Amino acid sequence: MRLHLDGSTSIDAEKETVFNKLTDVKFIAGTLPDAEDVNIVDPTTLEAKLKVRVAVVTSTLKLRMSIADTEPTSRAKLLAEASGSGSHLTISSTFELTGSRPTTLNWSADAEITGVMAGLGSSILKGFATKKVGEIFAGITKALEAEAA
Amino acid sequence: MEVLFQASVDEVTKLIGLEKRELDILEDADAAANELLVSEFEKYVERKYNPEIPEVLKRHNLMGVPIEEKYGGRGARQLVQALFLERMGQSGMGVITFADVHQCLGSMSIQDWGTEEQKQRYLPRAAKGEAVLAYGLTEPEAGSDPASLKTTYRREGDGFSLSGSKYLISNGSVASNMIVFAYPEVGGGGLTAFLLDTKQKGFKVDMRLEEKIGLFTSDTSMLTLEGAFVSKEDILGQEGKGFSVAYSALLNGRIGIGSGCVGVMEDCLNQVKERVTSRVQHGKEIGKHQLIQKHVAFIESSLEACRWLVYRAAIKKDDSEKDPKSLPLRAEADRLSAVAKYMASRCAFESADRAVQCFGGFGYSIMSPVAKHFLDTRVARIYEGTDEIMELKIASSVLGKGYEAYK
Ligand SMILES: Cc1cc2nc3c(=O)[nH]c(=O)nc-3n(C[C@H](O)[C@H](O)[C@H](O)COP(=O)(O)OP(=O)(O)OC[C@H]3O[C@@H](n4cnc5c(N)ncnc54)[C@H](O)[C@@H]3O)c2cc1C
Repeated sequence: MRLHLDGSTSIDAEKETVFNKLTDVKFIAGTLPDAEDVNIVDPTTLEAKLKVRVAVVTSTLKLRMSIADTEPTSRAKLLAEASGSGSHLTISSTFELTGSRPTTLNWSADAEITGVMAGLGSSILKGFATKKVGEIFAGITKALEAEAA
Repeated sequence: MEVLFQASVDEVTKLIGLEKRELDILEDADAAANELLVSEFEKYVERKYNPEIPEVLKRHNLMGVPIEEKYGGRGARQLVQALFLERMGQSGMGVITFADVHQCLGSMSIQDWGTEEQKQRYLPRAAKGEAVLAYGLTEPEAGSDPASLKTTYRREGDGFSLSGSKYLISNGSVASNMIVFAYPEVGGGGLTAFLLDTKQKGFKVDMRLEEKIGLFTSDTSMLTLEGAFVSKEDILGQEGKGFSVAYSALLNGRIGIGSGCVGVMEDCLNQVKERVTSRVQHGKEIGKHQLIQKHVAFIESSLEACRWLVYRAAIKKDDSEKDPKSLPLRAEADRLSAVAKYMASRCAFESADRAVQCFGGFGYSIMSPVAKHFLDTRVARIYEGTDEIMELKIASSVLGKGYEAYK
């Protein structure tokens, strides 16, 4: 099952600050909802346990996430693999920054989902993913704007 | 717009014609159905009523789709109402049950039978979603045979007091107003329909029926009336003519249920298509196994067979509304609404069963997108007239009045 999501958000912070934070795995770790046992493997890679709650069912996924193809201060890639509870996810996302204070963050993500989770169907998964991504970006925007203030 | 629904809208536009304001309603329906996806799924798995249904309909100005514009509604003719419910039906019968009861059984009955004062009092509130409507015909001992219901009314002061028990009432514990049917306590008169305010003393929600085998996101309740007061201005239609109100509501409601079932079949087809083109067994996608293709063909054919059956019933109802004095037109609309509901609910149930089969073991979980359709469409063969009552009605429409076996 393949999913594609994209969107953009405006952040009231300098472009350089936004770029530096989004390519800082420690910062990224702090914005992941329901992440546990976060381990910073190296400056571009993190591992964590992710609790994914779908209605009353909670699954635990082992996540490995890395930052790649950075082009300061414009774009970078976030690659993630997660597996557990009979499901496997591979996510490749790219972000691009334009302007500065406000900085426009354009992003797109392609996910490949296999196993039990794929059975939920793309419409539900897209609905959930959109909700989750919205939460993640709200967290990122809040943290960045707090820092820039 | 969702692809199958867009195809329906395009075809109806080409063959019959839809105005811009009607297309706007359908665009809003598409957006509302998308917005309901996650909450419907979550609440279904939790087996709980979904309070987001009225909220999302309100946000998209869809609570009063069939209510005339002069009362604050969208003024949809029956055909557009059917298309609206077709799209909502893709979200499941929980959404349909809420909308069908609030609109087809509730608002449309007030629009058809209410005095001008009643229309002014109820319809703008129902269109805004400030009022939620329910329809209380069924009782513990009166279902298919409403003539045997036991709720009674007697005169009290400037109005009437109602006593009795209503069973299996959709929206029963969330409604602000309800159409209730009762006989006079004395004198042996006919059935009368009343508009009851559920905040009245004497109205009690006995229990929310949450032990159902499906339809979890729809509220179903048992209600008790212990001298609940209604004023004399709250009689809907004429005193003693409640059956006319009840049956005309069901005519509208059956087109609504049929439309919802068409939406269910569309969702079954979408979900099955996605599943059988991605799931691999015996070295190939299961959609390449011919016996799986048999299920796909059944769902597709059922959908195509029922879609225009439902539209035809809706068009006939629109014709009948333009010429309300024509009894043959009305009888034809009544017959077609029964045929549409009967076929669409059976086809939707069988389609959902086949969709579960295509999903295999995961299809047996309520986490799958098709199990809810399997559990929920079962009720479409029971409420607003069981399969058997529809069969009797359809057969007698063919054989003639002397063959009304249910009388
Ligand atoms: C989830 C849910 C929501 C509902 N919502 C509402 C609502 O909002 N408002 C409301 O008023 N009601 C509502 N109902 C009630 C519904 O309309 C009735 O359940 C239905 O009309 C059948 O009545 P019954 O359950 O009493 O079954 P019965 O009438 O007892 O029927 C039992 C069986 O006998 C068959 N039967 C009965 N008479 C005949 C006959 N003459 N010939 C052949 N077979 C016959 C029936 O077809 C059925 O198979 C709801 C029901 C459910 C399950």
